[in-house]
Amino acid sequence: MSAWSAVHGIVARDLLRSTRQTSRLLGGVARPFMWLVLVGAGFGAITRLESGLSYPAFVFPGIVTMAALFGGTLTAISTVYDREFGMLRLMLASPAGIAAVLAGRAIAATLVGMLQGGIVLAFGPVLLDLEPWRWPAAAAALAAVTAMSAMLGLLIAARLRSVENFAGIINVVLFPLLFLSGALYPTAGLPPLLLALARANPVTYAVDLLRHALGQPAERVASVDLAVVIGTAVVAFAITAVLFDPEQRFVGRARREATPAAAPHR
Amino acid sequence: MNLAIETGGLGRDYGDVRAVDALDLEVPRGALVGLLGPNGAGKTTAMLLLATLLSPSRGGARVFGHDIIRERAQVRRRLGLLFQETSVDGLLTPEENLLFAARLAGLGGRLARAAVAGTIERVGLGSRARRPARELSGGWRRLLDIARATLHQPDLLILDEPTVGLDPEHRDTVWALLDAQRRAHGSTVLFSTHYLAEAEPADRVVLLAHGRVVADAAPGALRAELGGEIAEIEGPGAERLARALRGLGSARVVLRTGRGFRVGITAERQAVVELAGQAPGIERFGLRPTSLEDVYFARTQDAAEVEAR
Repeated sequence: MSAWSAVHGIVARDLLRSTRQTSRLLGGVARPFMWLVLVGAGFGAITRLESGLSYPAFVFPGIVTMAALFGGTLTAISTVYDREFGMLRLMLASPAGIAAVLAGRAIAATLVGMLQGGIVLAFGPVLLDLEPWRWPAAAAALAAVTAMSAMLGLLIAARLRSVENFAGIINVVLFPLLFLSGALYPTAGLPPLLLALARANPVTYAVDLLRHALGQPAERVASVDLAVVIGTAVVAFAITAVLFDPEQRFVGRARREATPAAAPHR
Repeated sequence: MNLAIETGGLGRDYGDVRAVDALDLEVPRGALVGLLGPNGAGKTTAMLLLATLLSPSRGGARVFGHDIIRERAQVRRRLGLLFQETSVDGLLTPEENLLFAARLAGLGGRLARAAVAGTIERVGLGSRARRPARELSGGWRRLLDIARATLHQPDLLILDEPTVGLDPEHRDTVWALLDAQRRAHGSTVLFSTHYLAEAEPADRVVLLAHGRVVADAAPGALRAELGGEIAEIEGPGAERLARALRGLGSARVVLRTGRGFRVGITAERQAVVELAGQAPGIERFGLRPTSLEDVYFARTQDAAEVEAR
């Protein structure tokens, strides 16, 4: 009961915060739409795909993945901000323990990512003419992809002491993951090194899973995609639980206070 | 088992820095205990150790009989914690902040909402409860922090400088709230402060210096050790007068401060006043009752000398 209450509290707080950070929420939704409209329209004019899909239709699963990836990951990384403003201390002092804290953050980040990805997905019928059952399937795939993104975000945050700004994370981590995922172009034609990187990239499987759900030609079977996405989420969570050192959140402050006059060992 | 806190040789190092050396402490249930000491004395580390948020490098401790290492969850259920910096989410309202804290403490559903409603009334947050917390003044933020720490009726409150940065009015409100909490629930309170007058009403004062306990007694007993009155002496002739008082056997303790000397007086005050009146080079001389601040200077200076030897 104690652990569930703590998880509930963390999730409810994160969702409230998300709804009140409207510029961040709108930015998270605007980014994929800008890519869809500007990049989609631009590349659409010069691209002809073997599958016969229009470029905006081809890129749509990748753009949904982008919304989920950015939303889930960045929300999870905001754990670092909580540390700076003292809220993480409250969570770590809870009797529920560290697993409940991480689970709460993961669930909250997944829900925020799903909200952002879901808004993009809701515009799908404008681009794609699909059987109705494919939309709930896509929503389920989106849930798995966002959960993976949230766990990756937690993993990034596990040892981060501070985040100067999110732009660094976006440019150094998220964009490379997205560009090497087949979200914007098929990975089959990539040079061998980049192809190997794309195959090692879990986001590649996330995009492919959404292509399956949306009835597009995919590069792998759906079960492999799903296994990699869920496996990545589980492994990332497990590594985070090992790497996340709750004392790190207290040692810095206490050490600073102890240093001016404390005695060295004799 | 009538002890709220029981520590044995509790210590913590940060690399080669010994923050807390070996803390031996017994705090009875319901006591109000002040943890005093200069910056770097180990107060925050000691509190974080007892709150199970840091692991000890040596020794151990029990809180209401629960081991701080093996039974962290049980210890935390009995605790209300206040950190030195406020822990308030400015994007949420005070009511939402409290609900968040209630859930973290393990209260669910109606129980959490009832605890929050009662706390809002008790603390007097009133109309502020549903406005964004970022609009609160520093004083109200601290009161919200106190509300959060006491909301689940903890048996032990660990408060790291609860009134730091507050104006006298808010400081008074904080202590009134804590007194009410103690009366209503019998909570044990362990607090640190640099406002030494705040520790005067404590049942006990534990004075730390260089990670060690240098005094542990009731404030009255600690004051009495220095003599009934303190002579404050300033000016170029202050040291000579202090030495003369000591030579006459009138001084129990002589403390050097930044501005001069403080001398714990045991002799007749009239004789001391006359001696001071005849002494050359005295710019200021005053007699006043002994305070905890004098104890603080006396004990931490002693500790510094011991450390230097």
